Amino acid sequence: MFADMGKPEASRRRPFSGLRALDLSLRGWTLAVFVFLYLPIAVLVVYSFNESRLNIVWQGFTTKWYAQLWSNAPLMKALKNSLIVAGVTTVASVIVGTAGAWLLHRYRFRGSRAIQTLVGVPMMMPEIIMGISLLVFFSTIGMRLGFTTVIIAHVTFCFPFVLVAVQARLAGLDPAMEEAALDLGATPLKAFWLVIVPCLRPAIVSGALMAFTLSMDEVIVTYFTASPGSATLPLRIFGMAKVGLNPMLNALSAVFVLFTIAFVLFSAHLKRISR
Amino acid sequence: MKTLRLLVAVSLLGLGSAARAAELNLFAWSEYVPQAVIDGFTEETGIQVNYETYASGEEMLAKMLAGGASYDLIQPPDYIAEVLIRNKLVRAIDAKKLPNLKHIAPEFLGMPHDPEQKFTVPYMIGTVGIVVNTDVVKEPIRGYRDVFQSKFKGRIVVVNDNRELVSWVLVTLGLDQNDITPANLSKVKPVLAEWIKLVKVFDSDSPKTALLSGEVDLGVVWSGEAARLYEEDKKFSYILPSEGAHPFVDVMAIPASAENVAEAHKFLDYILRPEVSKLISDEFPYTNPNLAARALLTEEQLANPASYPKIEKYNTFRDIGKGAAAIDQLVTDLKSAQ
Amino acid sequence: MNGAGRRPGVVGWLMLAPLLLWLAAFVVVPTGILAVYSFCERDELGRVVFSFSLQSYARAFDPVYLGIFARSIGYAALTTAICIVLGFPVAWTIARASETWRQRLLLLVMVPFWTSFLIRTYAWITILKSDGVLSALLQSARVIGAPLELLYTPTAVVIGLVYAYLPFMILPIYASAEKLDGTLIEAAHDLGCGPLRTFREVIVPLTKPGIYAGVLLVFVPAIGMFAITDLMGGARVPMIGSVIQNQFFQARDWPFGAALGVVFTLMFVVSYWILQRRSAAA
Repeated sequence: MFADMGKPEASRRRPFSGLRALDLSLRGWTLAVFVFLYLPIAVLVVYSFNESRLNIVWQGFTTKWYAQLWSNAPLMKALKNSLIVAGVTTVASVIVGTAGAWLLHRYRFRGSRAIQTLVGVPMMMPEIIMGISLLVFFSTIGMRLGFTTVIIAHVTFCFPFVLVAVQARLAGLDPAMEEAALDLGATPLKAFWLVIVPCLRPAIVSGALMAFTLSMDEVIVTYFTASPGSATLPLRIFGMAKVGLNPMLNALSAVFVLFTIAFVLFSAHLKRISR
Repeated sequence: MKTLRLLVAVSLLGLGSAARAAELNLFAWSEYVPQAVIDGFTEETGIQVNYETYASGEEMLAKMLAGGASYDLIQPPDYIAEVLIRNKLVRAIDAKKLPNLKHIAPEFLGMPHDPEQKFTVPYMIGTVGIVVNTDVVKEPIRGYRDVFQSKFKGRIVVVNDNRELVSWVLVTLGLDQNDITPANLSKVKPVLAEWIKLVKVFDSDSPKTALLSGEVDLGVVWSGEAARLYEEDKKFSYILPSEGAHPFVDVMAIPASAENVAEAHKFLDYILRPEVSKLISDEFPYTNPNLAARALLTEEQLANPASYPKIEKYNTFRDIGKGAAAIDQLVTDLKSAQ
Repeated sequence: MNGAGRRPGVVGWLMLAPLLLWLAAFVVVPTGILAVYSFCERDELGRVVFSFSLQSYARAFDPVYLGIFARSIGYAALTTAICIVLGFPVAWTIARASETWRQRLLLLVMVPFWTSFLIRTYAWITILKSDGVLSALLQSARVIGAPLELLYTPTAVVIGLVYAYLPFMILPIYASAEKLDGTLIEAAHDLGCGPLRTFREVIVPLTKPGIYAGVLLVFVPAIGMFAITDLMGGARVPMIGSVIQNQFFQARDWPFGAALGVVFTLMFVVSYWILQRRSAAA
């Protein structure tokens, strides 16, 4: 297939046939990976209609769990808490992570390597240790547990992900760009905001997505830093393993996923319509 | 600085000024206190219940010790209650405020972890026993020795609790399950090494999953899991091992640092009411120590062999202090050696 | 290079301050608490007693625990390698897609992970069990003769790990690949480079930062991961994460848990430090 790619004449005659095949196989590969990613989601949705409360073996079709979902106040509150925590965490992580990556890139000083390493520590630290040590810290300084402590904990292990993603992008950044902006009379702050940040957007978006995901699904650190009023959804769900993860939880996840996918796929349409 | 922090916290919660109603900070097993019970209590007394949960007694202890918020009621298992009492971390309960305490069956009062019956109120009793999928395993299984045979290799599930594992070997060898000494542990080691090789799944949270999905055929699990399996399909039988079974008693206690002591007593008395206790039993098929509540249960509930097995001796777990670490090292060592 | 590598002035230090303060308060102090605990003894509850002792460290260097470390590192390394192979083409394809589809695909990569971890893992158990979907499929396609014995084996564990960490490889690589100029590829092509050579000499070097970032974001957290190995592997084999957690729960030996944590952290810090020096020198 690629035999004739070496010769320049051949490639000019049929410029993109080899690339076309490559392109198609890459798309096929991507599709396969997406199937892999969504396989358990499909199963999860199907099992949200399972008659069995223990939801381990299929026992029949029912939609009753969806009905029960709406009246389950603690679960809905937990979902709300999760979204609040994840939302604030993501925003804070993006700010701290992006600023941190930029500053580490821009400035070289003694100890910058130490800072770089310190940033990686929350990523590797086992959650139990982070949870307990943060709890000891909070109780020593007399801070009450609640949303604040949970968010602080979440931001601490989420922002390194943003920072690393942005740093990778900064590594290939053309330094001439910032120079040009400064030459054209922009203040360093303006140069940062109007020139650098747009360039970093894919990395910031990637980091934000990772931070949000990590925060939404975090259990152990949350357990140690939360109060009853700030209990998040994963905390509730993990506690239900003994009783049986009844299909209501599947229904909740299914609704959330389908809603988000619909939003993703149709938001472009909505934007166009609203114009 | 403290005011600033408080302001930030409040604004983050998006609350305006909320009236300070009476509250109760309950720290209990997740899904061990039905929402209906909590709602009923709040409706009747107007006391707001802040229900915080944990998935194991050890988790509860860890958070309490690390400096968790001050709780008014906790739900430790018996051996943890014992060590809390000894370290003066729980306060005495005023029995005069609990008229419904009289419903508790006498065999559950004055147990070894709280001989003076001053600090705890029994909540639910459970056991650890053998569950068998009788559709697949036709022969009679009477005890641990019958379970851990090489013919069942790769078809066994056990709880992922190192202390449980060691205790089973101890009683099989005729030793005291609470006697954790280096000598005993060295006797346990070879037997346990063999048993571990036969196990397919270690799972403390939901051993019923492996049994229901057919990945394993028998196991040694909590009675609550076995009871739910039985409710799902009567093919799952439950027996207490002949070598010796141990019940565990989950109790309620009031931490020494509790602020809302009066409210805590009210809640305790509330859940001791027969009709409320029955609600708890409906949700959680453990052994209910409340005799008046038992009288309200259905035939089917009482017939569940995992909920109400015949317990001859109440040989409960005692606190083993630093022995827990030795056990953990032993089992980790053996598991790693596979 | 004028844009980067300056020494910070007053403004620079002011801007760095929040990050430094955050690290100091919420990373250094807790780690410090941990370090202090690791040198303490414990009481019967497991709490720390402030009397100096090295016994926790003596135990931490026992071959059993070092072996457990090694095993966790091994699983993490395998997971990372598979994630790179699976994830790079996906990141590449997304980066080459149109503007709207780029955002959509990126979000769609993450959306499955906004469901509960436990529910997702139970769904995998449903798929992989002996009478599950995959088994039925493979048997009817005559790929295997008997029911699938995949669940509670190391293979199932690796599947679970790769599944959990794949997005964290795709996203950073995407961020790096997105800025890759399409004309560079065309230029290489016009100069007679085959796809393989283009890949090796144009694409990989330019997306290297993204790949390194992905490796960091997958390998490092994966070493401490144990929930997946426990759920999908039957908790038969201990991972360092579960051993450390046990010390704070079942074993009630906080100093030992802290010591293991310190050793783990030191391993990371030293390796990362060395890696940084090598990449700075390169």
